[in-house]
Amino acid sequence: MENDEKKLSDYIDRLNEEKKPEVHGNSTESPQMEELMKTVRKVRSLKEPALPGADYPVKLAENVAKQLPKKLTVKKKKHTWIAAAAAVAAVIALVFAVNFILHPGGADIVYAMEQAFQEVKAYHGIIEIIEKNAEGKETTQAIREVWADKEGHYYIKELEGSQAGVITVNNGEKKWQQLPQEKKVYVFPAFPDPYRFTFELGNEIDDVKNAAEVKAIGEDKVLNRSVTVLEVTPKGGLPYRIWVDRETKLPLKRESAMQNAIQYTVTYTSIEYRNALPEELTIYSVPDGFEEVDRNPEQWVNNIEEVEDLTGFAPKIPKELPESYKRDGIAVANGMKTVKLNYTSRDKKHRVIILQEKTEGELNPASAAVLGTLNGNVAEIQSPVQEDYGVLAGGGVYSGVSDISSIRWQEGGFEFAVVGNDSLEHLALFAESLAGGPVVIPKGDEKTPDKPQIEVPVDLEIEENDQKSVDAGHSPWKLDPVYVAQVFVSLKISPEGIQGDYPVQYEDIKVVKNDGVNAVVEVSSDTTPIRRVYLKRLIRQDSTGIWTVVGYDPVSS
Amino acid sequence: MIEEEKLKKAHDGDLKTIEEICTLTWEPVYRFIYYKVQNREEAEDITQETYVKAFSYLQKHDVKIEKYIGFLKTTALNILRDRWRKKKRRGSNVNFEEINPIETAVDDAAQASAERTVIREALNKLNEEQRTVIELRILKGYSVNETAKILNKKEGSVRVLQYRALQNLAEILKTYD
Repeated sequence: MENDEKKLSDYIDRLNEEKKPEVHGNSTESPQMEELMKTVRKVRSLKEPALPGADYPVKLAENVAKQLPKKLTVKKKKHTWIAAAAAVAAVIALVFAVNFILHPGGADIVYAMEQAFQEVKAYHGIIEIIEKNAEGKETTQAIREVWADKEGHYYIKELEGSQAGVITVNNGEKKWQQLPQEKKVYVFPAFPDPYRFTFELGNEIDDVKNAAEVKAIGEDKVLNRSVTVLEVTPKGGLPYRIWVDRETKLPLKRESAMQNAIQYTVTYTSIEYRNALPEELTIYSVPDGFEEVDRNPEQWVNNIEEVEDLTGFAPKIPKELPESYKRDGIAVANGMKTVKLNYTSRDKKHRVIILQEKTEGELNPASAAVLGTLNGNVAEIQSPVQEDYGVLAGGGVYSGVSDISSIRWQEGGFEFAVVGNDSLEHLALFAESLAGGPVVIPKGDEKTPDKPQIEVPVDLEIEENDQKSVDAGHSPWKLDPVYVAQVFVSLKISPEGIQGDYPVQYEDIKVVKNDGVNAVVEVSSDTTPIRRVYLKRLIRQDSTGIWTVVGYDPVSS
Repeated sequence: MIEEEKLKKAHDGDLKTIEEICTLTWEPVYRFIYYKVQNREEAEDITQETYVKAFSYLQKHDVKIEKYIGFLKTTALNILRDRWRKKKRRGSNVNFEEINPIETAVDDAAQASAERTVIREALNKLNEEQRTVIELRILKGYSVNETAKILNKKEGSVRVLQYRALQNLAEILKTYD
């Protein structure tokens, strides 16, 4: 309750500062809290809005023009077209020639990069980020000082750019961000960490290793050093280039593909390799005059007895750990309700957290989650985590971090979740050890999927276009089978279109089956003519694939 | 009224024309968004996204827009819903994808004015202490510390008071629905 009063007060303060509150667009608040926040906005609407500065329309137009697709912003001149095409052809020919003559393949270089990075313990560098628009105009976006080690600890100081002065640190125990303008230090859990600074060497090399294709396309100089230029084509993305130091075999520069008429070049203008991060940089402190803001404080404890004292229950501990893991700490979070058992792999690349708390109602699986079973109970399986419900909501921010997966279930009056940046199979080992029973993860390859009474014809061409549109960031609701079913049922009730509220509410629709490829939802509203809707991921069968209605069962009369 | 020719140029990405259109239309669009989000940072951000989406849409679809500002507002509404609805499991939803952009014109001025009258009436139904804390904190924008000094209360009491005041206000507003 006290927490809610503070949250509401912080919300009012944020709006008074004319800043976007965190909960906007990412709310995990209770309905009551959302209602109160809505009331704040309503009262505030009596005020005259804060208007932007006089130069806003000009800036707005510039930014809009920048973001329109390239073909729209660059005026085409017919007479230059042939010359441009010839130039492109010449460059392609040259690239091919260089590629074949000098470098038969990029694979050796990728291996060399991996080997070289294994030797690095920590590094210190200055990164410069330059933005180039379609007309070739370059602007420096940011210059930042970076300290990073192989265990995922880092210290970043923004030296120039809109964030100048901001310091972000993750020391493995906690993460914090110091904002000099606001005179505040925001504290976050160390893991999971959605922030990855651009051009972190480990991630960069992983990206190259996992790319669909890597080609060496030439030689160049960066920082007066000889470098090899690689063209990297990621799986499902546009090719980009990286410049790799020929001596150290480590990347120094990266140039993204031109997207939406903008291209970014990131360069280490200096880099040196060290044994460790300077200790003084990773010691947490709040400077004089700064306020500490910790929205989800965690208390670290030494043993299970202390957990019991704080939470009133003894947490379950997995009987056996996967071989490569060790436990490295217990914390209590979410107002002393949630226990977090932390585990780290011995190579320190993977972290897994087991969350547990007393159940507060039934398991309410995320609508886009795959539904499996664990020891006979329903298990919500997300890979990656897209929505934080139940015990996941109390443990930290897991959704929206691309490599985090989770398994969540209820058993014996408790709700558990195993969440981490490891494969679902490894997470399942933790879950099985905890629950003492097998995890069943449906694979979406069943031979006889449920048959609807009435089939809905599908136009694959339209679906492919819809998928492209969603890939570009539009209509994310198509990734949620419940929303897709809600629209479908609502249009059945009002074929002429929907004005105002949907005739069927989101919460009247329950997912009864979802194996990642096929889903069945049940509609419980009194007004619905449809009882069950059958959906399928027709175009792509992973978390980025849209759902399409393929059939339904009418309400039997 | 924006001429057809000008719109076409803007949709083709002509910076000067985009600037002209933004200058002519930004304020009602921005105000409409601000009304929903109640902060400048987000309003500026969504206004920008609105123009990008609207121009991109009109470039791809050969449609005539009679009421341009109405179309922009509907686009803004779509963006707000895209952003907010993913995690929201209740409240009113409009399926924007199904709205025909040609016929769309959000006539919000009258509605907003009626809503404001209701909010004022509801505020007047609160007791004086609760009304004052809401006025100081939300309408005048004082911090908890400043409000506490004005009301001669502790900061914690101000937070409790404003929480209860908003709970009451939300209940009163429900009776108008």
